[in-house]
Amino acid sequence: MEHLSSEKLAYLVDERPSPSERAHLKSCTRCSEELNELRIQSHNLLELAALRPSPDNWESLETRLVNEGLIRNKQERFRRFGITALPIWIQATAAILLFLGGAGFGLNIGKDETSNALSLDKIIASTPEIETADEAARAVVLAEQAYMQALLHFRQFSDKDDENQMDDPLNRVEALEGLLVASQEALRLAPTDPLFNGLLINVLSQRQEMLKQISESR
Amino acid sequence: MNESQLIRKAIQGDGSAIRSLYERYSPRVYAVVRRIAGDDDLGNDCAQEAWISAIRALPKFRGEARFSTWIHRIAVNSALQAMRKAESRQKREVPITETIVASETPSSDALLAQRLEWALDRLPGGMRKVIILHDVEGYTHDEIGKMLGTAAGTSKSQLFKARGKMRELLKSLNTQDNREESETWSI
Ligand SMILES: [Zn+2]
Repeated sequence: MEHLSSEKLAYLVDERPSPSERAHLKSCTRCSEELNELRIQSHNLLELAALRPSPDNWESLETRLVNEGLIRNKQERFRRFGITALPIWIQATAAILLFLGGAGFGLNIGKDETSNALSLDKIIASTPEIETADEAARAVVLAEQAYMQALLHFRQFSDKDDENQMDDPLNRVEALEGLLVASQEALRLAPTDPLFNGLLINVLSQRQEMLKQISESR
Repeated sequence: MNESQLIRKAIQGDGSAIRSLYERYSPRVYAVVRRIAGDDDLGNDCAQEAWISAIRALPKFRGEARFSTWIHRIAVNSALQAMRKAESRQKREVPITETIVASETPSSDALLAQRLEWALDRLPGGMRKVIILHDVEGYTHDEIGKMLGTAAGTSKSQLFKARGKMRELLKSLNTQDNREESETWSI
């Protein structure tokens, strides 16, 4: 007796047998048992449960989603531009300003409006052309270092006056300057981003106010 | 938050909404891509590609199909695409006698699932794709034909071969078990 082929049996899992196939299955235990096993196998495959991916998968996916701009939360946006690499006081100021500024401003600020006593524009202008988030992060750090040096000179100069009185506003301007650089670098990458525009407006007005206070106190 | 709210937020780039969608659908997405890939590393890569494609395409999701169906289709497509690339590389050969390593004593259901996964991983790529899409995921031969760019008849003949091969692989496991059992008894 010639048995049904494996492929024919697999076909019969969900197709109707011909009269001769039906007759064979009736008389042959080997083929009917094999067909039964194949049906159980297909049933078991259908019942296979979903598989839980490793928790690491989300972490690497999240990084990619942030890098590709598909996750655009405030904190992720800051991380994307390397701002977490800045000292903690700048991050704290950033958080406060974000809270104050929200994302309501849709304006672009021209560079001219940023000119001020500390001529930070020179530092910003010296940063290289920025194309990627990594480059922005590096540029922010470089601008930070340059600014710190400038600030040191400023502080030595101002130390001739009442030191204690100067300390607090200076620290605050310091924080604002760092944030200004960071937000300007970020705006180079995302010039129409309302969040960064709002941030920049806030930084500029607060810095203006602080510098006024400093010059009045001297 | 309901699903359409989550989707709206995810389109706006809200990380926690994307995370919620991921938590909800990642097991189904991962299962289909991992099985088609036949390999953990490739499966992980495929799953990530699938999610990136899905989140990128999210603004195009119109809600005509269910979100689960939509994302599943994206997952299948990205796994098939990754397979086409991987198939051009040398296929690894796994000896048939390799045993299933269980981390703990599995239930009979878990053991059965392990055996099925083991056998699926050992099917040739073409057969594996079709048996997963048809027998595991429930797609029709017409749908599979469109996904693979072949005729429905080709999908059918691959499926019948795959079922037979799968059966052989599982039988070989049973034979191995019986041999091990008799060896244990003869000590
Ligand atoms: Zn027979």
